[in-house]
Amino acid sequence: MNTKVRTFELTMWPHMRAAYNLARWLVRNDHDAEDIVQESFLKAYKAQESFRGSEPKTWMLSIVRNTAMDFLRRVKSSSPVTLDDPEIEPQDHSPNPERALLEQSRRDQVRQAISQLAPEFREAIVLREIEGLSYKEIASVLNIPMGTVMSRLARARSQLLVELGGSTKEVQHDLP
Amino acid sequence: MTCREAGPLLHARLDNELDMAGSANIDLHLADCRVCAAQYAAIQSLHEEIAAADLSYAPGIALQRRLETRFLHEKRAPFRFPTINWLSSSVLAAAAIAAVALLVSIPMLRIGSGTDSISAEILDNHLRALQAVHQVDVPSSDQHAVKPWFQGKTSFSPPVPDLSDNDFILIGGRLEVIHQQPAAAIVYRRRQHVIDLYVSPSAGADSDPQLRELGGYHLLHWMQNNMSYWAVSDVDPTDLRKFAELIRGK
Repeated sequence: MNTKVRTFELTMWPHMRAAYNLARWLVRNDHDAEDIVQESFLKAYKAQESFRGSEPKTWMLSIVRNTAMDFLRRVKSSSPVTLDDPEIEPQDHSPNPERALLEQSRRDQVRQAISQLAPEFREAIVLREIEGLSYKEIASVLNIPMGTVMSRLARARSQLLVELGGSTKEVQHDLP
Repeated sequence: MTCREAGPLLHARLDNELDMAGSANIDLHLADCRVCAAQYAAIQSLHEEIAAADLSYAPGIALQRRLETRFLHEKRAPFRFPTINWLSSSVLAAAAIAAVALLVSIPMLRIGSGTDSISAEILDNHLRALQAVHQVDVPSSDQHAVKPWFQGKTSFSPPVPDLSDNDFILIGGRLEVIHQQPAAAIVYRRRQHVIDLYVSPSAGADSDPQLRELGGYHLLHWMQNNMSYWAVSDVDPTDLRKFAELIRGK
């Protein structure tokens, strides 16, 4: 068997779900997210000889992130207005429809609030809160210092709290 | 520790990124400062709320299959139809049932397998070209360079229309052999998706494009003026149909 294919299958394949999740959060629609993932896997496949030492997952995610950011820059420069796909959620079949509806709408609110964050805050939140990456891993994916990861998460969470009405007293710590 | 110092560190504390001494320092401050304690409780409940909401997006099965076909392809080349394996294994497994199945299915299979084996061969060829360094023998976005290139190499003249107004960009052409027949492969690009259009002479009545799906890829086949056309790509099937209509001049 071709060792290049085998290595690729073992190291990169397991991260397809995380790759797609990050791409989907960054570009905010299914179709473009699929294109981003496909392009990223192609880049990873071609560049795998240069992959040394770092974690396969963070390496893959950093390729996805850069590909998605390039895409967003292209879209932004070609059309000033971007239309997001409406978020369609499957209906919940809980016994209590009223409560289910409330929970559903709250879940949508959380999703919407994250989705509205600026990309540099959104990616930090997605990698930390949804993918469960450590600061070190996030720093590696985003190619920023760990201190910046911490301050971006702080900014992102403050914005989310304001948006979701979870904080009655917004504390002014004058963050950098 | 002041509130200003504690601010960002509350997040590091929540995310388990502090060592024991650092955590203890924050905890001391939280015990003293009601404002920071409230802020910490707020980010903690936000953290729990996002986790509970399960906001992860999962890739669709079509994307997974497409990536498998594309990247794990070399492992199991040439592309095989599952129906062929199914047939041979059922022959081995249950001769009696298979005998009946064979009687019923052979005439249908023969008709089906003609275009099916061409589909597989076309997809194989497309995937090999995608992996090759040179996807085209004549790289040009100029239809007036690509079309003459085929003259003298083929007994027929494939259509090479300029479809750039419709966002199908001509990349070039190459010569292929499909089913022991010389075929012109004209290569277009739509965003980062490559579309190969295979054209070869074949006697038969004109037919409308037929869509089939193989390994997450889509193929469109139609007949026009005694020429056989195959378009293959991982582009959205709607876009592939649009491409076919443009090629057909509809």
